[in-house]
Formats: sequence, C-alpha cells, structure tokens
Amino acid sequence: MDQNQHGQPTQEAVGKNQYQSNPMMAPTNPPSETIGPYVTSSFPREKQHAPQDIYQEQLNNFWAKQCQEIEETTDLRTHSLPYARIKKIMKADRDVRMVSAEAPVLFAKACEMFIMELTMKAWANAEDHRRRILQKSDIASAISKTDVFDFLEDIVPRDVGIPRSSIAQNFDLSMPPHQNVTYPPYYVPAMVTGRPIPDQNHHGP
Amino acid sequence: MADSDNDSGGAHNGGKGSEMSPREQDRFLPIANVSRIMKKALPANAKISKDAKETVQECVSEFISFITGEASDKCQREKRKTINGDDLLWAMTTLGFEDYVEPLKGYLQRFREMEGEKTVAARDKDAPPLTNATNSAYESANYAAAAAVPGGIMMHQGHVYGSAGFHQVAGGAIKGGPAYPGPGSNAGRPR
Repeated sequence: MDQNQHGQPTQEAVGKNQYQSNPMMAPTNPPSETIGPYVTSSFPREKQHAPQDIYQEQLNNFWAKQCQEIEETTDLRTHSLPYARIKKIMKADRDVRMVSAEAPVLFAKACEMFIMELTMKAWANAEDHRRRILQKSDIASAISKTDVFDFLEDIVPRDVGIPRSSIAQNFDLSMPPHQNVTYPPYYVPAMVTGRPIPDQNHHGP
Repeated sequence: MADSDNDSGGAHNGGKGSEMSPREQDRFLPIANVSRIMKKALPANAKISKDAKETVQECVSEFISFITGEASDKCQREKRKTINGDDLLWAMTTLGFEDYVEPLKGYLQRFREMEGEKTVAARDKDAPPLTNATNSAYESANYAAAAAVPGGIMMHQGHVYGSAGFHQVAGGAIKGGPAYPGPGSNAGRPR
C-alpha cells in the first residue's frame, strides 16, 4: 500500500517536469541545448571558452569600434598610412590610369582594417599554440582558414623558400605544411559545431 | 631612386627602409606603420616577429592591388578613366569585404565634406587648380551615383562572413527557430 502510494506521486512529478520543460525551453532557448551552426557559434558557451568564440567576440567588437571610431574622427590628416605610397601601389597595375584624390584616403582606412582583421585572426592561431609571439605561420594559418583571403594564398608559401631580406634568415621559422581547403560548391559560412580542433586541416562544415 | 616619403606625413621610414632596396620599398607600405597597426589589434603583452610584419606588408600590397584591379575593370566596362571611392567600395563588396564598406562610407562622406570646405577656402592641397576642379566635378558625379550605389551594395550583401552582420542573421534564426539551411546557404557565390 505505501509503496504504491509512493510510486504514483513519483510518476506524477515526472509528468509535471516533462510538461513544464516544453514551454520553458521555447522562450529561453538555453545555449547548451541549441542546435544549428549559427546558433551555436553566436552564443559564447560558458562550458568551454573556445578560441573561435573569443575571436568572434573580438571581431564583433572590432567592427562596432570601427564605425564608432570613424564617427569620432575629426581630422583625416592623422592617417596611419602614407597616401602617396598607396597611390603608387595602385598605379603599379598598368590598366589603372587615373586615381581620384579620395581613393588613397579610402584605402588608408581600408588597409588599416585589413591589417587588424588579419592580425586578430593570426593571433587566434598563436594563442591556440600557447605562444605570445606572432609568427609568419600564424599569418599563413589565418589566410588558409579565411575564405575572403584566398587571394593571399600565393604570397605566404613563396616566402618560405626565398627570404626577402637577410635579417629574415636569422629567424628559425618553418612554415607548417597546410592544404588548400576545398569548399563545397555552394558557399556556407565555416562555423564550428562542437569543439574546434585547430590543427585539423579539413576544417569545414 | 624614388623618394615618396616626402608627402607621407609623419611616416618615417629612413631606418627600416635601408633594409629593402629602393624598388622594393615602393611596392610595400612602410613596415613601421604596418607594425603599429598590427599592435593595435593585439594584446599588450603580444610580440610580433619580423617575419610576420613583412608577410603582412606583402598581404596589404596584394589587398590594394586586388581591390584596385576589380575597380579598374569596372571603370573600363563603364568607359571611365578615373577610379573613385565608390568604385573601390563596390569592388570590396564584390570581393567579399562587405564588412569594410559601412565604416568606409562614413569615412568617405567625411572626406568629401572636408574637400568641399577646402575648395571654398584657399588651396591647402599641393595639387594644381585644374586637378582640384576635376576632382570637384567627379565628386559631384559621385554624389549622384551614390544614390544608386547603396541600393546595389545592399542587395549584394546577401551573406556576411564572420561579422556583426552574421550575428544579426543568427539572431533572426533564433527567433524563427533553428532553421538549418538558413540564409547562409542562399548566398551562393562562385569562387
């Protein structure tokens, strides 16, 4: 008799939990149980601070800061990069005839953002390997992992065999071999589902 | 040897420039400037190897040539001789650098406003008056073109890779429930 009475409340309690869990999950949508590549990558998980999540947060802050920084910019003369040199690089292409005055100014800011984005992604690789010195291999890794940086693939391997200056030879740096990642025909953002393995060459959805 | 550092403001490249030949020096932006920008993107305790700085130097030149080439092709198709800011913004969107366009629009607008002020005031620029007048004419045309270009740019921005824009997409996905295909797969882009 007592055992039977004890059994019924237990089942009833389980039923209540099952009933209550459904409405609770829908609005709150806890990060630990989210499915889908977008959702998983967007929320920083408390369980593990994956470098990708840290990097993603840094990148979001970076873009927000860029818009804010431009709004606060008063004097465009305080540029980070020389306009004349930018113009010379632009005109190295023989097809380029005339360049308006605003083009190098625009490129000065664009190159600054490009350098910072490339450097942040490279630093994520250095942190993966517990290093505090950014190396060429980190740059190469960032390039191979980023789709829009495909046009830079030719630059990095070339420097391995032919150092550009004599001082570069003093560095005992070797380029780790990396394969060109083959993406599927349709372009899907390379979001990590689960725990990312940095050294994995075949890194894709 | 071409000394292009005279009109580059505070960029001092004398010491580090000696490591490169004069011809190579023109192909890259000054390594001191590149290094300073890299440090802004890194923690205070981070260090940058010489090799990494030089690699980024080359990457930046490649970036400039990459964008410029695309913008130049567009100008040739439209039978225009001068590459302007909007051409560069269009090229960046086409080549996958959508994230750069929004900050640069504000930057470009501010520059044009300052140029307008300069034209009214006495000439501060080193450029001859003819070039200045030409630039003003082009800027007037650019303003007219700018009305049409933003719409085009917005249509091109179907997919944003790893950026705040993606965060918005993810937010939308959450609200509508976890849709697995998502808008990301819709933005098919030939490589």
